[in-house]
Amino acid sequence: MKSILQMIIVLSLLCGTAGFCLSYLKMTTASAIESQALTFVQGPAILDVFKAAENSPIADRKSFTLADGRSLNVFPCLQDGKLTGVALEQFGPGYGGDLGVIVGFRVEDDTLAGIGITTMKETAGVGTRIKEPAFLRQFPGKAVPVKLRSQGGDIDAVSGATISSNAVITAVASAVDIYTELKPLLLETWK
Amino acid sequence: MNRFMQEFTKGLWKEIPPFRLMLGLCPVLAVTKSAESGVGMGLAVLFVLTLSNMLISLVRNFIPSKVRIACFITISATLVVAVELLMQAYTYPLYLQLGIFVPLIVVNCIILGRAEAFAAKNPVHLAIADGLGIGLGFTMSLTFLGSIREILGAGTWFGHPVMWDGFQPFTIMVEAPGAFLCLGLTLAAMNYGTHRSIMKQSRENAGNTPSACGGCRACAMGRGSDND
Repeated sequence: MKSILQMIIVLSLLCGTAGFCLSYLKMTTASAIESQALTFVQGPAILDVFKAAENSPIADRKSFTLADGRSLNVFPCLQDGKLTGVALEQFGPGYGGDLGVIVGFRVEDDTLAGIGITTMKETAGVGTRIKEPAFLRQFPGKAVPVKLRSQGGDIDAVSGATISSNAVITAVASAVDIYTELKPLLLETWK
Repeated sequence: MNRFMQEFTKGLWKEIPPFRLMLGLCPVLAVTKSAESGVGMGLAVLFVLTLSNMLISLVRNFIPSKVRIACFITISATLVVAVELLMQAYTYPLYLQLGIFVPLIVVNCIILGRAEAFAAKNPVHLAIADGLGIGLGFTMSLTFLGSIREILGAGTWFGHPVMWDGFQPFTIMVEAPGAFLCLGLTLAAMNYGTHRSIMKQSRENAGNTPSACGGCRACAMGRGSDND
């Protein structure tokens, strides 16, 4: 009986202390982790899309809630104090799991400012070629919605990587939907 | 102090974890694609191992022996999650490279092995020495394997080009088979060296004091392979 009691006390104390320490650490590092993740995962793609940005799209990000309850970050691009573009991240089903795409829009004519790949688990050397400029440079300036050439659009898929290319198109399409929904709100926010 | 140094230095060569204890092979094979990720993983293990050895040694007299494994796991899991959070907060690119292998430190045999075999039976300062030594040995091994694989597989070392112009990298070295090749050849080289020194020793001994069994050296060789 005594040994059971001892076990219960020792284990509870140990787990309690561990839980307390970890939740404290989690709280103190949460904001650092969020900004690190944005800088290193979304950051390079966003800066690539908005080369002309005079602000820091990551630091100026704002979170918006969609009609269906999801919330997401929108990254603005300001030039001369005016909003010229917004970027948001969406996902498409790739060959090795979800594929994250940053989609940038030009606010004045609703065309694409460019896209960038953030996270992917595609096959090395095949699917990963969607990250190459040869594929990505087709997007800037295109009017939405964009489609692959095989679907009647004018984007050339990466040969051998149809699923990966399709995932990008899906992600762009869902970003277009969100952009259309949020646009009045976005113009209101960054006047 | 003498004992402290002894416990510390044994991890650097005599019981160097991946090559002698054959422990912690999962990260050894998986994250040694470059010297940098080898160092990062090694340091993460060093940190967790030293602290877990220290904590376990501190509480070793309070832990009932029936639940000691659960206690050890709780302590090492807490430390690993702490490392994961700190890594995410301050060295995010490294965290992205190491990925799943950081949380997997919890089930790394080295941590539990040292806790059970050493920290639970020895005073705090020796447990710290053991953790530092084994952790440093692990870091060295990972850096060594990572360097070989990065130099041969990508032609760079810590990201700087080190090979001559026109060098064609052996891509296989940075893929999974390269890890097995590299580890296997290193082990073979180390075993060959140990075997030779044991043979030499037993030959010298045989000259001075002939053993009862005729000095066939089987015992020495057997002992050699036990150590490995």
